[in-house]
Amino acid sequence: MQMRPEVQIAAMIKALTDVVIPAVPPSNKLASEQAQLVVGMLHLMAAQLPVQFRFDRDELGRLLETASELSSLAVAEEAPRAALAELDRQRTEAMAVLEACRGEPAQLQASVASLRTSMCSLVDSFAASEDVVARERVETALFAMSKAQLLRDRALMKPQRWEPDPAAVPDITSLLAG
Amino acid sequence: MQVQDKNRPDAAWIEHLRARFPCEREIDRILVRKLSLRDGPGFSPVPLETLVAGVEALLVAEQVPDFTVTNPRWLSGGASKLQMAFDLEWQRPGLGFEKTAMVLRMEPAESIVETSRLREFQLIKAFEGVVPVPPVFWCDPDGTYLPYPALIYGFAPGVTKPSTAASGVSGLGMVIPESVRRHLAPQFVDMLARIHCHDFSQNALSAFDVPQINTTQCAEWGVNWWERVWLEDCEENVPMMHLAAAWMRRNLPVLDVASVVHSDYRSGNFLYTEHDNRITALLDWELGRIGDRHQDIAWTTSRAFSSMSEDGKTVLVCGLMPEREFYEGYEKASGLSINPKTVHWYKVFNAYSIATLTLGTGYRIARNGKTHQDILVAWLIGIGGMIVDEMRTLLEEAR
Repeated sequence: MQMRPEVQIAAMIKALTDVVIPAVPPSNKLASEQAQLVVGMLHLMAAQLPVQFRFDRDELGRLLETASELSSLAVAEEAPRAALAELDRQRTEAMAVLEACRGEPAQLQASVASLRTSMCSLVDSFAASEDVVARERVETALFAMSKAQLLRDRALMKPQRWEPDPAAVPDITSLLAG
Repeated sequence: MQVQDKNRPDAAWIEHLRARFPCEREIDRILVRKLSLRDGPGFSPVPLETLVAGVEALLVAEQVPDFTVTNPRWLSGGASKLQMAFDLEWQRPGLGFEKTAMVLRMEPAESIVETSRLREFQLIKAFEGVVPVPPVFWCDPDGTYLPYPALIYGFAPGVTKPSTAASGVSGLGMVIPESVRRHLAPQFVDMLARIHCHDFSQNALSAFDVPQINTTQCAEWGVNWWERVWLEDCEENVPMMHLAAAWMRRNLPVLDVASVVHSDYRSGNFLYTEHDNRITALLDWELGRIGDRHQDIAWTTSRAFSSMSEDGKTVLVCGLMPEREFYEGYEKASGLSINPKTVHWYKVFNAYSIATLTLGTGYRIARNGKTHQDILVAWLIGIGGMIVDEMRTLLEEAR
């Protein structure tokens, strides 16, 4: 997936800064102010995006520490006791989530990139090969993989309305459900 | 293996690419220039005054006497070049004093289509009087007088789409009403035939190399050009691009007739006047080359430029006519045959080049802030998946 937020945001900032804002009449104070705020918000998004996942994971860890500390609290009244039991139940679920979130999104992206590169190198390695059978097996596997992946690439971009027959392309949520 | 930083290409990598992918000399020159400048600044807005000063300097160098440049203004449209409209008051050779509407067409720091202004200039000149083209006047091929390489051509009358038609950016997916397309379609086919039948041997086309007929050189130059651009620009590897390049090299078609190929012949790239539905100018010759007519035929019939007719079932080539009608009309007008196998090869080739431009170059130049409309080229990245999937289907059909 080549169209990622970092490129989208940079392009939006440039369009607003170089083209749109200079064209806003200085007399239109509200439009000028809001255009500047949009640029500011986009800069903020660009800064936040790379750390957003880590930020949430960091907070979950801190919440878990506190929840663990509170789980040993002994209370007699029914309402606090019920609330603590619910907190403890949530803590157990959250611990599993935190464990599953040890990796970084950037690692996932890097792994995708590495495997793509290796598969491309494999294709290139057959350029001068006389082993047609092996080459065709590689091609068959990559065609099948690409067919499924490209459908998802197209579905992700469906809102851009490139597709001549949009109904033929499922929505991305249904394709990612499994 | 050391990973090349494509945003800061080194000389050794550039030489490696040149040696691995030999192509036409002028193509090689502009690709080397692109990579040599990549590490430099992105595109910054250029004031109209700077462009006017550049135009004046170019005209002085071209020894145009007693001229005045007036009414400069920006033109929108197109994803690849900046355009400034202006009026030139001058003594036009053979016609005397006149006020001529002109357009300056200039590259940004890097373009979604990195091409040669000299080739574009020479090709349009070559077709004056053959098919309708905008008059082209002067060229600054190296950006000696203007901030970047540029050319100046005359303003041609007309529109790219009916005032009532809908289309996406850059003229893609255009829907043209039946009452208009029945007039435009025959002209569209006839002009393509005239381009391909034109004897270019007497034209000044020094920026072009002529591939040898009865060999695969033409196709090989083409694959070398676009595989080189893909490797220069792409960020994410795409296995299907490598499969396609390998397949193309195993199945290179032999060139039977060397023709001028427009390379971007589609709706959105011609002007017509709405009062009489006459095509007045064929535009955007920048990707043109001397090559195989099947490249144009395959390009024009690409799914990316097609649209559905009112019946909701018939796919129209460039929103103008059904594919069968297009093929038959072309063969009749040109007297040239269409080899379906070669068309198929060039459909893969064309899909490969569009995928390169959108997924590879579009990403690279938007990432580096190299154009006057990064937002548009970033938007165009989104069509890449559909194009690669079309290419996958074509390759599977050929297996």
